[in-house]
Amino acid sequence: MKKSHIPKLDDFIGGGIPEGSSILFCAVPGVECEAFGYQILNGIIEDGHKGFIFTNVSEPNDIIYEFNQYGWNLEKYLEEEKAFFVDGSSNFIGLPPTGKYSINELSQIEGIVLKAIDDVSNGVGVINNLSTLIDYLEEDKIIEILDKWNKRAKANNTILVYIFTKWGYEQKLINTIKNSVDSIVSLTSIEERVIIGQGFMVTSASWTKPQNNMVLFFVLQPGGVKIYIPKILVTGPYNAGKSSFVKSISKRSVSVERMALEKFPTTIAMDIGHVDHNGFVADIFGTPGQERFDLMLDVLSKEAVGAFIIVDSSAPQTFARAKEMINKTHAKAIPKIIVANKQDMLGALSPEQIREAMKLDKNIPIIPTTITENIGVEKALDALLKLLYGDTK
Amino acid sequence: MIKTIESGIPGFDELTVSEITKGGIPEKSSTLIYGPPKTGKSIFCNQFTYHGLLNLEPCLYVTTDHGFKQVQNNMMEFQWFIQNYIQNQSLYIIDGISQLSGKKIEDTNNIKSSFVRNSSDMMVKIGIGTRFVYKKSNHFRSTLDSLNTLFAFNPQQMVIRVLNAYLRRITEAGGTSIVAYTEGIINPNTENMLKSLFDNTIKLDGQNIQIKSHFEEEEELINYKSTYKITNKGIVVKKE
Amino acid sequence: MIPRIESGIPEFDELTLSESGMGGIPENSSTLIYGPPKTGKSIFSYQFTYQGLSNDEPCLYITTDQGLNQLKNNMFDFQMPIEKYIEDKTLFIIDTTSNISEGMQTKTETIVSSDINNPTDIMVKVGSGVKYICKKYPRFRSVLDSSTTLLAYNDTMLILRVLKAYLMRVNGVGGTPIITYTENSADIMIETMLKSMVDNIIKLDGKTVIVEAMKGIGKRSAKYKIKDHGIIL
Repeated sequence: MKKSHIPKLDDFIGGGIPEGSSILFCAVPGVECEAFGYQILNGIIEDGHKGFIFTNVSEPNDIIYEFNQYGWNLEKYLEEEKAFFVDGSSNFIGLPPTGKYSINELSQIEGIVLKAIDDVSNGVGVINNLSTLIDYLEEDKIIEILDKWNKRAKANNTILVYIFTKWGYEQKLINTIKNSVDSIVSLTSIEERVIIGQGFMVTSASWTKPQNNMVLFFVLQPGGVKIYIPKILVTGPYNAGKSSFVKSISKRSVSVERMALEKFPTTIAMDIGHVDHNGFVADIFGTPGQERFDLMLDVLSKEAVGAFIIVDSSAPQTFARAKEMINKTHAKAIPKIIVANKQDMLGALSPEQIREAMKLDKNIPIIPTTITENIGVEKALDALLKLLYGDTK
Repeated sequence: MIKTIESGIPGFDELTVSEITKGGIPEKSSTLIYGPPKTGKSIFCNQFTYHGLLNLEPCLYVTTDHGFKQVQNNMMEFQWFIQNYIQNQSLYIIDGISQLSGKKIEDTNNIKSSFVRNSSDMMVKIGIGTRFVYKKSNHFRSTLDSLNTLFAFNPQQMVIRVLNAYLRRITEAGGTSIVAYTEGIINPNTENMLKSLFDNTIKLDGQNIQIKSHFEEEEELINYKSTYKITNKGIVVKKE
Repeated sequence: MIPRIESGIPEFDELTLSESGMGGIPENSSTLIYGPPKTGKSIFSYQFTYQGLSNDEPCLYITTDQGLNQLKNNMFDFQMPIEKYIEDKTLFIIDTTSNISEGMQTKTETIVSSDINNPTDIMVKVGSGVKYICKKYPRFRSVLDSSTTLLAYNDTMLILRVLKAYLMRVNGVGGTPIITYTENSADIMIETMLKSMVDNIIKLDGKTVIVEAMKGIGKRSAKYKIKDHGIIL
């Protein structure tokens, strides 16, 4: 078993990646994926093993530069012969190849990578990029090559890391590729018009039953892949039920929150909670509802990836204020759920009536709830998660 | 009425007036500018970009034929000065080619270097760039000049895949995109497929400009034709 | 306003006068010279090169059709002796043919050989040539005569990428590159792509020189003849 050196990932796959296994990082176009391969390679070499990078997308020098940006010294490993390149790129654009191995013709790729796998037994090989390979070779051929590489890796105890971008391929091809590796990590995006967050999730691992939680990450230079706890905003007019909502979805409070609290005057009632729902973790920030605190909305809403807008279904006169708060918290630009609270009250409007009254887009889910009775709360939570992560679960 | 934005090309907006639009380029649509080499496609792109900047519409500019310094120089020849817009970050540039000249350019907040052969990386930067300009204003433009180098460095089907992902990204964010392409550098079938990915196509053949627009509401393509000249103020379309 | 450099053919500079009153090849832009075989594309290159050298602008010359000696002789025939410029090292030559045909006789810091079948090596030499020149000179010229041979001996898509890299490298440090190409010698798609890569396109058809595209001016043309001193319009 080897540590992947990607935060949280090892916890999800039973402690690490077994020697000889293949792991595929399958990314939605636009989500950063190269960093995962490079970080694993860097870590495993740091732990005293060997590694290689096959590249058909950038020149070795550019990759060395990239490593530098992350704060990792690939050049040193190259000098010490702990790492080497299989340069499948330079020759194709007329640059002098610089790797230990270089590829002149596509037909050589299979054999040369096999050699490279032999050279790093008990180490790691990173294949960047598998999708580019597909476009150069026949699809059937790719599957055949993958099988050969994976077999050889198994025999040599070499871990193979594939970087794959899920362009518009036929689903059948994607499935076949997924079936030929031991483990798949999906890299997806959280979108609301634009990408506002990136997440990874282990979809399968042959050696264990993986925990399939979604973890949000960003890639730092220097630093590499870092995970973060997403922030979810709870906002809405005064007395709509925000505090009760935060309390009812939160399981515990953490010390970070207390520290965060100290930054604000104690006279302001702010609700901070921590949700842990089917493995999804997030910090919850409830905003004050009174207009005199509006200046704070901007601060509180920074970097939130999702929002619950709580409205009092029986008080349509507050809807305008709710809309205003959506604007002020920039919740327009992030996935959001309207929590139609106080459905038990006399004269409460139905979700569709609220949509009509607030002139909300039909894509925004409105969940009827009675927070004090804990009715609909879980549904609201599920609805937001579905918006954030789509149907990847 | 279909909402449009000003193209920035004198005569173009007047030419494209119709019962359903007040002329210009339909907002949030995608446009392919194509034609033989050296007919003014890049000039059109730059004119479109610069006009947007003047109107406070930020722009995501993906350059693959020229390094961004060269683009800046090219624009200067027409008195289109973009330095201010680079400084105030209303222009976000992804330079997919400068790496090839052997010079490393340091990334800044809004100038990112990538490489045409690394489509995944290009797409990551397009994602970040889209978010960047979208946050500035949701009325933004996006220019990709051009597909030529992408086709020279990648298999054709790969470029189509990347283009699909790119157009989807911009459309989703509500941007108005134009993409330049030199006619006749890929096989005819792929070329037809390429054209079908866009809402509008504009053909420049050196003399004539032909615009075809497809609107969801209308069944038929709307066609406009005229002639144009390249002047020291950029492209000027003759009013019919 | 776009600065121009003298092409080496005075009438050509007149032909390409722009509104600003300057003519010639736009500096720091790239030019394709094409046309049927034997229409004077190489001669145009000689004149372009020689004009630069006479003006103290060094030149990086990549010759793929003729060896160094032949190049020297051919230029001499048009009364453009280059021996002096080889000696003072303002002419940097990459010779991709002599290896095969005659064996390199002279090999110096600025006369290097390469192999037509090895575009990677050619690019390496171009890289060091550009580096050598641009250390001393902020502006220079560069000629690749011709791309036809490169295309014939190698994978055409690879050569397109190599040509793109060549243009980027030369343009990137203030140089003005020209490339020659024999019409119809490659697939039409390749030809179109080649045209799309350059800023200026000049066609020589044997009788007429046609400036099909040039930064800052429209299409122009004029009759030409090849005389003792080269092309005259």
